[in-house]
Amino acid sequence: MELNLRDLDHIIADLGKGTEQVIPILQAIQLKYNFLPEEALRYICDNTNITAEQITGVGSFYSQFRMEPAGEHIIKVCVGTACHVKGAGLIHDAIIRELNLEGARLTDERGMYTLEKVSCLGCCTIAPVVQIDQVTYGHVAPDQVGKVIKDFEENKKSDKKGLFRKADGSEIAGEIRIGLGSCCVASGSDEIRDAVQDVVDTKHLPVKLKHVGCVGMCHQVPLVEVIPVNGDVTLYAKVKPEDVSKIVNRHFAPPGLLNRWGDKLMNLAGWIQDDSNWDGIDRYSIDYRDKPVSAFLGKQVPIATEHRGVINPLDLAEYKSKSGFLALKKALKEMTPEEVINEVRNSGTRGRGGAGFSTGTKWELAARAEGEIKYLICNGDEGDPGAFMDRMLMESYPYRMLEGILIAAYATGIHQGYVYLRAEYPLAVTRIKKAVEILKEEGLIGDNILDSGFSFDLRIYEGAGAFVCGEETALMASIEGKRGFPKARPPYPVEKGLFGNPTLVNNVETFSVIPFIIRSGADRFNSIGTETSKGTKVFALAGKVARGGLIEVPMGISIREIVEEIGGGVPGGKKFKAVQIGGPSGGCIPAELADAPIDFESLKELGAMMGSGGMVVLDEDDCMVDIAHYFLSFTQNESCGKCTFCRVGTKRMLDILDRLTSGKAKKGDLEELENLADWTKKGSLCGLGKSAPNPILSTLRYFREEYEAHLNGNCPTGKCAELIEYHITDDCIGCTLCAQKCPVNAIPFDPHNKHIINTDLCIKCDTCRIVCPEEAIIKR
Amino acid sequence: MKKVISIIIDHKEIQLEAGETVLQAALRMGKEIPTMCYYEGLETHTSCMMCMVKDAKTGTLFASCSKPAEEGMDIITKDEEIIEARKTALELLLSDHVGDCEAPCQLSCPAHMNIPRMNRLLAEGKTQEAYEVVMQDIPLPSVLGRICPAPCEKACKRKEIDTAVSICLLKRYAGDFGKIESQNHRVAESPIPQIAIIGSGPAGLTAAYYLRKRGYQVKIFEKEVRLGGELRHPDLHEKLPAEVLDREIDVILNTGIQVQFGVDADLAFIEGLQDEFAAVVVATSVPKFEVRSSKFKNQDIRVFPIQSAKLAIQAVARGKNAAFEVDQFLKGENVTGEPKRFNSRFGKLLEPEFAEYLKESNDLDRLEPEVLANGFSSDQVKAEAARCLHCDCRKLDNCKLRDYSDEYAASQRRYFSIHDRQLVTKNIQQDVVIYEPAKCIKCGICVRITSKYKEKYGFTFIGRGFDVQIQIPFGESIAKGLQKTAKEVAKACPTGAISDPTRIK
Repeated sequence: MELNLRDLDHIIADLGKGTEQVIPILQAIQLKYNFLPEEALRYICDNTNITAEQITGVGSFYSQFRMEPAGEHIIKVCVGTACHVKGAGLIHDAIIRELNLEGARLTDERGMYTLEKVSCLGCCTIAPVVQIDQVTYGHVAPDQVGKVIKDFEENKKSDKKGLFRKADGSEIAGEIRIGLGSCCVASGSDEIRDAVQDVVDTKHLPVKLKHVGCVGMCHQVPLVEVIPVNGDVTLYAKVKPEDVSKIVNRHFAPPGLLNRWGDKLMNLAGWIQDDSNWDGIDRYSIDYRDKPVSAFLGKQVPIATEHRGVINPLDLAEYKSKSGFLALKKALKEMTPEEVINEVRNSGTRGRGGAGFSTGTKWELAARAEGEIKYLICNGDEGDPGAFMDRMLMESYPYRMLEGILIAAYATGIHQGYVYLRAEYPLAVTRIKKAVEILKEEGLIGDNILDSGFSFDLRIYEGAGAFVCGEETALMASIEGKRGFPKARPPYPVEKGLFGNPTLVNNVETFSVIPFIIRSGADRFNSIGTETSKGTKVFALAGKVARGGLIEVPMGISIREIVEEIGGGVPGGKKFKAVQIGGPSGGCIPAELADAPIDFESLKELGAMMGSGGMVVLDEDDCMVDIAHYFLSFTQNESCGKCTFCRVGTKRMLDILDRLTSGKAKKGDLEELENLADWTKKGSLCGLGKSAPNPILSTLRYFREEYEAHLNGNCPTGKCAELIEYHITDDCIGCTLCAQKCPVNAIPFDPHNKHIINTDLCIKCDTCRIVCPEEAIIKR
Repeated sequence: MKKVISIIIDHKEIQLEAGETVLQAALRMGKEIPTMCYYEGLETHTSCMMCMVKDAKTGTLFASCSKPAEEGMDIITKDEEIIEARKTALELLLSDHVGDCEAPCQLSCPAHMNIPRMNRLLAEGKTQEAYEVVMQDIPLPSVLGRICPAPCEKACKRKEIDTAVSICLLKRYAGDFGKIESQNHRVAESPIPQIAIIGSGPAGLTAAYYLRKRGYQVKIFEKEVRLGGELRHPDLHEKLPAEVLDREIDVILNTGIQVQFGVDADLAFIEGLQDEFAAVVVATSVPKFEVRSSKFKNQDIRVFPIQSAKLAIQAVARGKNAAFEVDQFLKGENVTGEPKRFNSRFGKLLEPEFAEYLKESNDLDRLEPEVLANGFSSDQVKAEAARCLHCDCRKLDNCKLRDYSDEYAASQRRYFSIHDRQLVTKNIQQDVVIYEPAKCIKCGICVRITSKYKEKYGFTFIGRGFDVQIQIPFGESIAKGLQKTAKEVAKACPTGAISDPTRIK
């Protein structure tokens, strides 16, 4: 291909020639060419300090980078945990069929679409999710992928214009709030925003339009909240653009024009808990004060998510009006660094990234560490395939996290820092970048902050797609422009971290609770929680639960309270089976133990771990061997490949799980699986490998009989496709729906007669079972 | 001046400078800690995990190569759990190590003859050297070259591509034409100890030959009037002319072996040998259990019965093994017979691998002698021997993976799957190195060496996880990647993945 060398020269001029710039340079090249052309990489090697070894090694390490040209549009199938349990694998297969992809080829013949798997898009509550470029489709079923692509193509043609005119705030009749969290945006809140703006503008309504972050009700997005000056607050969920004018009219139109639509919308309220499939886009409205919603918010204690749904993420004045930056002021003006550290230590807060190390102690070590240069890193590389807390905190409350970072920097005497952000979170990247820019303009980041004499500079670093980079030593290697290989600890980052200097690494959520602690005092914080785990924890609740979303609960709350009271229980009358907590490092806790209180220690005892806070609810239809297989394929795929136990051990465990889920297991496999799990745990170099066996060990511990069934070639839940066959029972009414939908014509079209599945042709895509109105299709 | 700290290693205190690693400290104490990814002069990579030791206080295992020693540490360098950990690490590495140590032909030869080396020498016309290679394991090459059913050829990998190399006839050629100059290789005399060999079939002759070669005084007792035992069986007359057999027996006897004919050795006779002989090898059909169960007055002497064999080559193998046993016994070592080493194996070639293996071979069909009784001509020998695929590894004797697999009794089969293995490729750059990625254990030593010496296209890690590969960037040639470092890289590679292209002849 023809390269324009001037483009490359610009990239080098912008980003510099240093070896640590390799990832940003590769990102810039890919942005330009949609892949990494070899000539471009060679040119970079010839004109910077970056070597051929480095650029090819790094380029091939991170999954974001492509060495081959991709199609015009990228279709990403989310295979995060929540999507997995809702059939993401079947969706992926359906797209392969739809695009006629063969073998390893992942771009269709026209070069139009490239299919990719992505470990989590952070939209777990509308799972399963497919993203085509910037458009996200939720609740996708295998037989709908054709529609999804068609919808994408139609929308592509109609270049919608957005009206952006600021509403006049002088005559406010009320306020309309539109959720702009990822789930909201993914479900079309941008369109809604435009539609609302349109209606407000055309009718010259004196209404203030407001963008708010995530309110944690991601299962009902997009959300529109109407707050009239007089009258009740109403929350509309699952709003369609065509509903907008009706909603707006209902509350703000002159009397007499009050239309019949409002009532119709209200009548649909009964549908809202229904986790129905996407078919077109169905959206319904609810009343904010409806009981289940109150329950949803009820037991929660917002600290990291304080003022949820009220704050416009980037409105600094508003953040300040809600006690924002009071804590920073207090720290800088009234407290010594030691006092700040003491306060944090006394609060009892522990790292929210997973391991639960005392934050106060870490800060003290960082403060004491000797070194001319010290770094602070905010770890926002949330890669757990069933977790999206950090994404939401960054998208919705960017200033709170940044305030926490500034306080930490002051307390530890650090003057430069990085926010390391996951590549798959473009909205978080944009928000944090913008927020940092605003704080720099306001003098809250930079020299002599608030005239205190304290200076701090903060840079944003975008990851490039590697779960292992959530591990702090790998994360630092990544910032240094290397492959994300972890290192043995000690030395710990606080002794010898980034570029060999002492480095404080804390997670997004940890920083986000700091302002509260400093502002309200350690005692307020440590009055919440259990003996060893203080304060609150943010969880991403997803999977087989009626109301999924971001929740913040006090430590010590029981799993059952979360699942049943906050989450509204398992939908569809299914039985609650287990909760997967902590993602690929965590484990499955069975429903019988759901009364256990949640804190760092209790979860560990139960064989799970706090991890990053993903919480995926599983019901009776979920196969525990499949879940273990799912997580192992994830970690095996994300292993950096450095140490023997993780690189080969995870692969060999996966081999055994492959055998179990495909009916090829042999005697002794369970013992060998346990043995390997044990050694991989003991022998791996970093946390990824050491915790990779947890999903296996915990499911073996609580659900061994399911493993034994697989050993005998049975999958009790019917999830493992190779162990089951689809059959039609006598309940069949001969409606032909299944025959019409079957993608491989395995069901002959035979109206009014009982249908038959040709099991030789059947690809077990599950479509027939989903569409059958009589539940006459069974797996056995 | 650096701070001095003290730590305990295996219950012994040691003083060292702060900054030293646990591995360095332990090695300095003379501890043996296995390492594969560790390489003096390079920064550590902590990949193989063989150097794991234990923190005695917490019981946790850690890689000693990259752990700085800290005041008060209490370290154990070897116990059952550590051994198990290292063994498991080896077994995991072996499960993804696709390559043969010794060639399948050699492993299936009961006498364990180094066939590939013989082939290479014959292909180069070095008949005499080839003969010497054969004689290290088979002292009757012309004989066996005529009567052996050649189990080696059944295992030959070339057979999977087209037809097996004609190993047996090649060996016959080496025997027929190689021995001329070396018939009189007498061994220096040494007065004691004396060893008696009962019977002179292929087992007895072989045992006698290898013991004599080790310097022992050997005396054969034979019932008949001629040596050779079963080799004189009438059924063999056509295939094995008497003069061929006589000539080879002469070669054996010419090393200085005494013979007494007409002795019908029974248990009483054997018992009677004890005053004169330090060991007795019984290579006749005297029932083994009788010999084993008989008591001898002199406890110092031992009788080594050889089980009778169906095939001459098995008899040779057992005779050779008895020679090992006797030698070990007389040296006061553990009597274990011929040492058996670990051998990595991967089973049959897959079709895409044919071309890779043919890179070191030719594409001729298997040759047949014009007249079978005459064997190959010298031109035919060169061509046929060159059909050998050279399946054996170039690093048989300097491979850490093999050495440790021996030491820790690692089993490759535990996690190896023949259904799901990587494909073998051979990147042969004559005069530089040969790179066989399927043998690579991803220790990264080559990457670190080429980086240290600033090779423009030095080795790099491509991809990640289980599928990570070590490659030269941008598909450049290895020659271009290893301008300055080829020798060191080949030497430093702890397995046969990167090796010097010159073969040990």
